[in-house]
Amino acid sequence: MTRPVTADPVIRYRNTHKAFKRPVLSGVDLGIYEGEMFALFGPSGTGKSVLLKTTIGLIVPDRGDVEVAGMSVYHGGRKVLESVREKVGYVFQHSALFDSMNVYRNVEMGLPAERLRRMQTSDVARAIWEALELVNLDPVEVMPILPAELSGGMKKRVGIARAIVGRPRILLWDEPTTGLDPVNTAAVERLIKGLAEELRVTSVLVTHDVEGALWMCGRVAMLEGGHIRFCGTPDEFQTEADPVVRAFVDRAAAEAALDVVEMT
Amino acid sequence: MSAAALYERPLRWLARWWESLAEHAGQLGLLVWATFSAAVRFRVSFREFVRQLQIMGMQSLPIVIVTAVLTGIVTSQQGGYQLTSTVPLYVVGSITVTSVVLELGPVLTAVVLVGRVGARITAELGTMVVSEQIDAYRSLGRDPLIILGAPRILAGLVVMPALAGLANLIGTISGMISAQMALDLGYETFLFGARLFWQSWDIFYSFMKAITFGFAIPVIAIHMGFRTRGGAEGVGRTTTDSVMFQLLTIFILDAMFPPLFLQ
Repeated sequence: MTRPVTADPVIRYRNTHKAFKRPVLSGVDLGIYEGEMFALFGPSGTGKSVLLKTTIGLIVPDRGDVEVAGMSVYHGGRKVLESVREKVGYVFQHSALFDSMNVYRNVEMGLPAERLRRMQTSDVARAIWEALELVNLDPVEVMPILPAELSGGMKKRVGIARAIVGRPRILLWDEPTTGLDPVNTAAVERLIKGLAEELRVTSVLVTHDVEGALWMCGRVAMLEGGHIRFCGTPDEFQTEADPVVRAFVDRAAAEAALDVVEMT
Repeated sequence: MSAAALYERPLRWLARWWESLAEHAGQLGLLVWATFSAAVRFRVSFREFVRQLQIMGMQSLPIVIVTAVLTGIVTSQQGGYQLTSTVPLYVVGSITVTSVVLELGPVLTAVVLVGRVGARITAELGTMVVSEQIDAYRSLGRDPLIILGAPRILAGLVVMPALAGLANLIGTISGMISAQMALDLGYETFLFGARLFWQSWDIFYSFMKAITFGFAIPVIAIHMGFRTRGGAEGVGRTTTDSVMFQLLTIFILDAMFPPLFLQ
C-alpha cells in the first residue's frame, strides 16, 4: 500500500514539541493513514522513540498534540487516553516483558482490563493461544515459561503476541529488530508484514533497518533536528537528493551528510 | 560582578530545590491517593498482596529475630552494668522492656526492613522502569501505581506492626534470659521490675510507630523506584538515595513521637 486509503489520518502529530534539557522534537507535524505501514528513520537520539511514545501518552509533549482515531490524546482526558491505549498495541524495543510473570500471564496482560474481567477463562486461554500461534511460537511449550528462560528472538515474539492479543487497530513498533541476528531480523520483518496484512492494522515502525523498512512499508519519513526532514514513498526516499536522507540510502553519502549537519 | 549576578546562582539553586520538593510531594501524594482509592474499591490484587506479605514478612523473620534477640541481650546487660550497686537490680527489667517496646523493637525492625525490603523494592521497580516494563503497564492501560505500588504499601502496613510486635516479645524474653544468666536476676524479679513502670499505652505507642514506619518505608521505596532514570547506574544511585531517605525519615519520625505522644 503506497498511498493513504482515507482522507483523515488515523494518527496525527500536531506541532509536537518535547525537550529533555535540549530540544528533541521541535514542532513535528505528521499524519499516518488507516491501514498503511509507515516507517520512521533518523539518526540515533533524534527522538523517534519519543515521538512514538507520545502517541499513547507514555511521554507527554511540552507543546502540541497527538490525535489518534480523531481523539485528542492530550486534551481529551483520562477516558480518551484509556480508549486510545485500547486501540493501540505497542511493541517495545527490548520487549519489556514482565519478569515475574510467565508467558501466559504476560500475553494475558495485553487484553484490556475491562474486557478481561468479562471474559471466560477458556476464551482468555484461546485468545492467548491464537496470539502465540500468530507469532509462530508453540503455545504449549512457551506458556508456562518465564521471560528469563526465552531467547532474544522468542522474547520479541512474546512481546508482539502481547501487543496483538487485544486485536488493536494500530501497532507501534519501537525498533523491533534491534539486537537480533540477521536470520531473526528477517523472520521478525516477515512477521510484521504478515501481521499487518492479516490483522489489517495500521503499523508505525521506528527503525534503523532501512532496507527492511523500505521492503515492508508504503511510506517512510525521516526525523532530523526535531523536524520531519523527509516524508514520502520508498521510491522517493531512494531517489531523494537531500544529503542527510542520502546517508540513510547510501552509506557512501554519510560523510557528505555529516558535513551538512555540522555546518547547520 | 553585579548584584543580580551574585544572587543568581543561589536563587537558581533555591528554585530548582523548591521545584524538586514540589515534584516529590506531588508524586508521593499521587501514590498514596492511588493506593487509598484502589484499596477502598477493592482493586488491589489479592495474589500480589499475599506475595508481598511473604517477601516482606516471612522472608524477613530470621534477621528480625536475630536482631531482636541481640537487642534484648545488650539492653539488659548494659542496664545491669550501669545499675549494679546503685539501684535495685529489678529495675533492669523495667529498662529492658521499656527500651525494647518503646524504641528498639520498632526502630531496629524498621532499619532491618529498610535494608531488606526498602532497597529491594526500589531496585526492583527501578529496573522495571529502565527496562520499560512500567511503560508497558501504561501502554496496556494498567496503572503501575495500583498494580505494583498499592500491594506493597498495604503489605508494609500489615507486616511492620507484626514484626515489631514479635521483636518486642523476643527482645523482652532474650533480655530476661540474659539478665538471669549474666546478672543472676530471676525471671520473677525481672518481670516485677518490668511491671512496675509498665503502662498499657506503651504497647499502643510501639504499634503506632510500627504502622507509621510500615507506611513510610514502602511509600518512599516505591516513589524512588518509579523515579529511576539512566540504566544500571541509575538503579544503583536511586537505591542508595532511597535507603538514605528511608533511614532519615524513620529517625525523624521517631524523634517526633515522644513530644507528640509521651507528654
